[in-house]
Amino acid sequence: MKWIIALAAAAVVPFFLPPGQLTVYILLGLSAMAVVGLSLLMGYAGQVSLGQASFTAIGAYTAGLLAVHGVPTLLGLLAAPLVAALAAGLVGVPILRLRGHQLAFATLALQLILLSVLGDADWAGGAVGLQGLPYLSAGGFELNQDRDYACLVLAGVVLTTLIASALVRSRVGRGLRALATAPVAAGASGVPVGAYRLLVFAVSAAFAGLAGGIYAFYVGYLAPGSFPVLLSVEYVVMAVVGGLGSIAGALLGATLITLAVQLLTTLATQPGMPSYAPSVLSYAVYALLLIAVVRYVPKGIVPALLLRKGILATLHRRSS
Amino acid sequence: MTALLTVTNLSRRFGGVHALRRVCLDVAPGETHAVIGPNGAGKSTLFRLIGGQLTASAGGIVYDGQRIDRLPPHRRARLGIAIAFQDAPVFRGMTVAENAMVGAHAVTRAGPLAAVLRLPRHRREEKEIRTAAAAALDRAGLAAWADRPAEDLPLGRQRALQMARALCGRPRLLLLDEPASGLRGPERTALAGLIEELRAEGLSILLVEHDVGFVSRLADRVTVLDLGRVLATGPFPEIRTDPVVISAYLGAPA
Ligand SMILES: Nc1ncnc2c1ncn2[C@@H]1O[C@H](COP(=O)(O)OP(=O)(O)OP(=O)(O)O)[C@@H](O)[C@H]1O
Ligand SMILES: [Mg+2]
Repeated sequence: MKWIIALAAAAVVPFFLPPGQLTVYILLGLSAMAVVGLSLLMGYAGQVSLGQASFTAIGAYTAGLLAVHGVPTLLGLLAAPLVAALAAGLVGVPILRLRGHQLAFATLALQLILLSVLGDADWAGGAVGLQGLPYLSAGGFELNQDRDYACLVLAGVVLTTLIASALVRSRVGRGLRALATAPVAAGASGVPVGAYRLLVFAVSAAFAGLAGGIYAFYVGYLAPGSFPVLLSVEYVVMAVVGGLGSIAGALLGATLITLAVQLLTTLATQPGMPSYAPSVLSYAVYALLLIAVVRYVPKGIVPALLLRKGILATLHRRSS
Repeated sequence: MTALLTVTNLSRRFGGVHALRRVCLDVAPGETHAVIGPNGAGKSTLFRLIGGQLTASAGGIVYDGQRIDRLPPHRRARLGIAIAFQDAPVFRGMTVAENAMVGAHAVTRAGPLAAVLRLPRHRREEKEIRTAAAAALDRAGLAAWADRPAEDLPLGRQRALQMARALCGRPRLLLLDEPASGLRGPERTALAGLIEELRAEGLSILLVEHDVGFVSRLADRVTVLDLGRVLATGPFPEIRTDPVVISAYLGAPA
């Protein structure tokens, strides 16, 4: 029921927002998709990725490059999550052997490598990037309004949320949650630990890749600078603030942070502010929020609320 | 009858420490086989080699006529080997019931796609898993705790939860590493009763236990380990009077 209300609210909002604000809504939705995936990865499987925006970039460039070469845009959009998942599957084999902050640094390093490769690659437009990408079109209908993309993004958020929550409540989801805290006991219970780690990494990459694909068609140009490490950090902060291991938390975290950043950007672009003010302020806010959350609500906002209302037990009962 | 499990000349070194040296041991179908020995004798190492958590430096493990010593742990679980660890790890952040349900992984198949598409196969399996977990919790005396977070259980109950998790995978060979340690009187008796029940059902059990009374009541045969070597194997009364065992471990009979 709560979900239906939230969905209805999210579906109605774009029709009341002034066109300029729709961009915020769309970017929020794109982040939410990536963060739902990251929350699966960090909260359920206990793996940290500090380079999750790599997969947003891979999805976006997949869609962009295919479009540039004349492939139908819808195919490009479908290819975006698949290629991102494939990339995660390939790099996952070696790097998922790492744990904790080693894994975090490895994913961060991957993103830095990806960005510098993209910046030097002529086929990807180099530092200038890909420009003049077409709008997404499907069955003769071209999505060329902000409102169209708002609807598409909402559909994407719903899709990723449904997939994530079905996965979490399943046998596989229990295996994932088990291996997050006791991998040895999970393996001894028949959970193929390595394969599951790879699976959830690929799923989280697919979600980020789908967000990237939509982003490419919405914005119409791509450059390595569109997917900075700051974006990966933002995803992590969103997931942690909302509450790891809570899909509702991922959505809430994405919303809160996007709105906070929006506010800051308005502030930082006031006349007289230096040009680096927006990114400095973002980092500052991420840092403060992270510290505040870890200090006062270590489990994140949504789990803390649930605990307070004492409904965690009911939730568990329903999911088991 | 051919053995369900045969361990041959199994050795494992940790750096310079020989945790196990050319250990041979077998478990017949339906047998309860105890492994006893002083601290550091290599009992847990032996169990972890059989479960696949460790790999052997040398030697072989045959289970049900098949070499298993190169298989990863989850494949051995699927073959019917379940293990309850000495340190009784539980899956934190999951309920007691969910912990037991994880054990059913060994005997279920539904993959991620079946779950996301909510295929009938997945729903049927979920129902079976829930039923199996409820039954296992019941046997382990944990039914009243089913919806509590597993980390809230007292240590003794966490050991019982490991048992429930193992049983949920319908094993043919159950490895119990000191399941009774830290348990109080009535809990101990209940555990011994459960193990007897499982033996009566034909389950093969390999059991590490320090309590001599416990071992003499439950075990068909006993293997004594000391410093990584097998000192003796046989029915408990024989072991009890074996001079080598007495001097190394048991002390003189009272
Ligand atoms: N991972 C490890 N690294 C190094 N040495 C180890 C490791 N595991 C076990 N050992 C050593 O191997 C030997 C056997 O250990 P093991 O845990 O198998 O003994 P145990 O018989 O189970 O003892 P306990 O009764 O205390 O449980 C000990 O000397 C121990 O220190
Ligand atoms: Mg031990």
